[in-house]
Amino acid sequence: MTGFLQNTFNGLVSGAFYALLALGLAVIFGMLRVVNFAHGAFYMLGAFGAYVLLTEAGVPFWAALVIMPVGLALLGMALERAFVHRLTRLDPLYNFLLTFGLTLILQDLVKLRYGVQSSPYETPSALNGSVDFGLFDFPTYRVFILGFAVAVCVGVWWVLTRTRVGMVVRACTERPELTRAFGIDVGRWVTPVFGFGIGLAGLAGVLAAPMRAVNPLMGADLIIVVFAVVVIGGLGSIFGSVAAGFGIGLVQAWGEAYLSDFPIISQTIVFIVMAVVLLWRPAGLFGREEAPA
Amino acid sequence: MRRTVGVTAASAAMVVLVAGCGGGGPQSGGDGKLTGGSIVLGVLNDQSGAYSELSGRNSVKAVEMAIADFKAKYGDKAIAEDITVETADHQNKPDVASSKAQEMYDRKSVDIILDVPTSSAALKVADVAKEKKKLYFNIGAATTDLTGKSCNKYTFHYAYDTYMLANGTGKTTTEQVGKNWYILYPNYAFGQDMEKSFSTAITAAGGKVVGSDGAPFPNTSGDFSTFLLKAPTLNPKPDVLGTMQAGAELVNVVKQYNEFKLREKGVGLAVGLMFITDIHSLTPAALAGTTYTDAWYWNFDQQNRAFADRFQSETGTRPSFAHAANYSAATQYLEAVQAAGTDDADTVVKGLEGKEVDDVFLRNGKIRAEDHRVIHDAYLAQVKPQSEVAEPWDYVKVLKTIPAAEAFRAPSPDCKL
Amino acid sequence: MLRIENLSAWYGEAQVLREVSLDVAAGEVVTLVGRNGAGKSTLLRCVMGLHAGQRGTVELDGRNVGKLPAHRRARLGLGWVPDDRGSYATLSVTENLTLPPAVGPDPWPLARVYEAFPALYDRRDSAATMLSGGEQQMLALARVLRMGARLLLCDEPTEGLSPLLVQQVGELLREAKRHGVTVLLVEQNLHFATGVADRHYLLAEGRVAEAMDNSEVRSRERELLSYLGI
Ligand SMILES: Nc1ncnc2c1ncn2[C@@H]1O[C@H](COP(=O)(O)OP(=O)(O)O)[C@@H](O)[C@H]1O
Ligand SMILES: [Mg+2]
Repeated sequence: MTGFLQNTFNGLVSGAFYALLALGLAVIFGMLRVVNFAHGAFYMLGAFGAYVLLTEAGVPFWAALVIMPVGLALLGMALERAFVHRLTRLDPLYNFLLTFGLTLILQDLVKLRYGVQSSPYETPSALNGSVDFGLFDFPTYRVFILGFAVAVCVGVWWVLTRTRVGMVVRACTERPELTRAFGIDVGRWVTPVFGFGIGLAGLAGVLAAPMRAVNPLMGADLIIVVFAVVVIGGLGSIFGSVAAGFGIGLVQAWGEAYLSDFPIISQTIVFIVMAVVLLWRPAGLFGREEAPA
Repeated sequence: MRRTVGVTAASAAMVVLVAGCGGGGPQSGGDGKLTGGSIVLGVLNDQSGAYSELSGRNSVKAVEMAIADFKAKYGDKAIAEDITVETADHQNKPDVASSKAQEMYDRKSVDIILDVPTSSAALKVADVAKEKKKLYFNIGAATTDLTGKSCNKYTFHYAYDTYMLANGTGKTTTEQVGKNWYILYPNYAFGQDMEKSFSTAITAAGGKVVGSDGAPFPNTSGDFSTFLLKAPTLNPKPDVLGTMQAGAELVNVVKQYNEFKLREKGVGLAVGLMFITDIHSLTPAALAGTTYTDAWYWNFDQQNRAFADRFQSETGTRPSFAHAANYSAATQYLEAVQAAGTDDADTVVKGLEGKEVDDVFLRNGKIRAEDHRVIHDAYLAQVKPQSEVAEPWDYVKVLKTIPAAEAFRAPSPDCKL
Repeated sequence: MLRIENLSAWYGEAQVLREVSLDVAAGEVVTLVGRNGAGKSTLLRCVMGLHAGQRGTVELDGRNVGKLPAHRRARLGLGWVPDDRGSYATLSVTENLTLPPAVGPDPWPLARVYEAFPALYDRRDSAATMLSGGEQQMLALARVLRMGARLLLCDEPTEGLSPLLVQQVGELLREAKRHGVTVLLVEQNLHFATGVADRHYLLAEGRVAEAMDNSEVRSRERELLSYLGI
């Protein structure tokens, strides 16, 4: 029982990263119809930024947790204006290629300066202990991540469902053309939403720095799973991406714990789940079939 | 950039042309002692990926240092004035490694290929060396198959292998830290090989593997907590967690090992394969007390340190054991050619077989004739606590020297040269 | 109020509007009749600024709006009731109503909308796409009234409605007209059209084939109905 609870907890912690990343991808896809391949690279930049801020300027974790997401959101907005924006009228493949190229460039720039080896980043001292849950104790930092990620997801959900800003974003996401016909400048919302999605990736990166290896390729493997998460949740579905993020974290953790005798299954469980979901619901768990234009 | 590539390609084409016109292609240099009148060393390794720091371009630098030292030593008595280095990036992909190796031997007139990390790539290159009948010193790869079922007359395995790592760390840790082990390995060829080697070494030393798990590879979630949580709950409780992960995955395991406070829970840490660069990534504080087997350590003695200082002035960083081994391998090859008076592969192999060597990397070294395993002293190393780290990169103290004869396995009956 | 001159439109290579010219005076209700596929919806989309492949002039209050993007045109007082009703699945009924900003001098307050459409009030927190087809049609109309649009572009607002609801739509349009709202109405229901409209254009194969008044439509109803294939 204790073991099960611990594995569940860990699954949720991994899931927290998936959820934050998938949420960003989902809002970007919803608004721009762009599959942002560079999302993993921005996650990496978040972690690396925290490392650089600490070592070059002595900026602590807590400040990095604000500075990096905001800084990367601004960078994302600049990139959207400079490049992504120009290609949105063309086949989505163009933006996929653009963001893929961007990924390679960002990875290589970091590699050029800091090498491929992982860079050290320590857990902030306030979160270095363990929390006692009676049956078991759990690293404070993990509890913090889980709480923080859930709070961010709930906050984003609240803004999206309960505010006028959220309403407009939902409308732009669901039917951009119709929304323009109702007097709303959809284009003006695109840039900040792109920046926001990138900021979420950066936030996940800063959170990852103390517990994951910080290196130029840290986002490259992760992002493949996050794409699977987004597909499972339903492309562009905000709720779906978060739910699938936590769900896949759990499935992976349980798979590792209880299917370790079947490594073939536990290693590929994410993609097995994805295949099953797509056969059953081609638009993903919470996705809608695109309305005919 | 493109321009440079173009110019390089053009001049390479010129060289081929000139060589072609010069009468007597590479194979027919009957009167000269050297094919093409020169010696070409090829460094084939990872120049952009996970191993690019512990081998990569700095391995090329090490080989260039060896050439310079060789020339300085022999002056005009050197067998060749023209000794050059060719280099290529195999991206850790077996098929790329194979085609680059063929290109090196056939078109770049390479006499010997060096380095080649990543076991699957290393084995492919061994096949090419055998087919082309050209020399190959593997340094960067760990698989014992290079001196086992895949051994061949032209392939030598230079620095380390999975047996050496397991034997050193597994045996000593079992004797000194605790008998009960939990092994965590990445579930692919290298990890499985390491798991087997470690289990054998642990059992032979009177220890017991109470559990072993293959973690997904690559571990896309970056999370190993399932396994780390499992370790202290096993019965009997393991004294040691042996992790066979490498590079970034090793970093993740160790970070999370510390997060879950396994050391405080009485589970020590032993690492299958670790490079000095990994310790740098994690900081000595995260690894303090961890034991592992090292093929060479830059600050072990005065001779190593002198080499490390020179290396640092060339590259700006301290050498990994792979860098030192590349230097040594290039040196020993050039010495063998000098002694043989020719770069003819079969003659050079004959000269190398059974040779006893002592240099900055090889201590009590011997190039075994039976399987072409290059044996030498290995070291049981322990990561220092942060407080004892006196200077950058000085992260390790050597607990024990493992004599060459014990460090490596006996020649395998699977190997027929 | 609205003047269209020599408007042509294409979907890729296929031309669907051929030099259409028509005008609608302020306060008028004008219908556009024509077979399925004649290009009526396309014409409304061109006026709205949503159709990329077009040439010709669209003037609003004497101002050429050809270069304005859709959201700017909407803000000049255009209210579109699209043929698919334009319900947002991710927005509640209330949100569907309050999404567009007020664009005219006389926007309906939400309370008045709900007074006029009690069925919508009862389902105000449901997703708009959960409403019945008739309710969604009402929602689409209610939305442009709430915007206070001065020119309504209504694409077959009675399609699929029960006679009772058709009557209600008619009353709404007449009331809007009384308040000076101009309407360009795409309609197949000739009886309904003559009940609310002042004039009619018959669109055939992408051209304005005829302009008619109410009496002409009534007298030629049979012929027109068979032409429309109803
Ligand atoms: N998205 C589209 N792509 C290509 N052709 C279209 C599209 N929409 C409509 N059409 C074609 O354009 C013509 C006019 O369509 P439409 O304006 O919807 O006619 P109406 O509203 O009069 O029924 C039809 O022949 C239709 O098949
Ligand atoms: Mg139509």
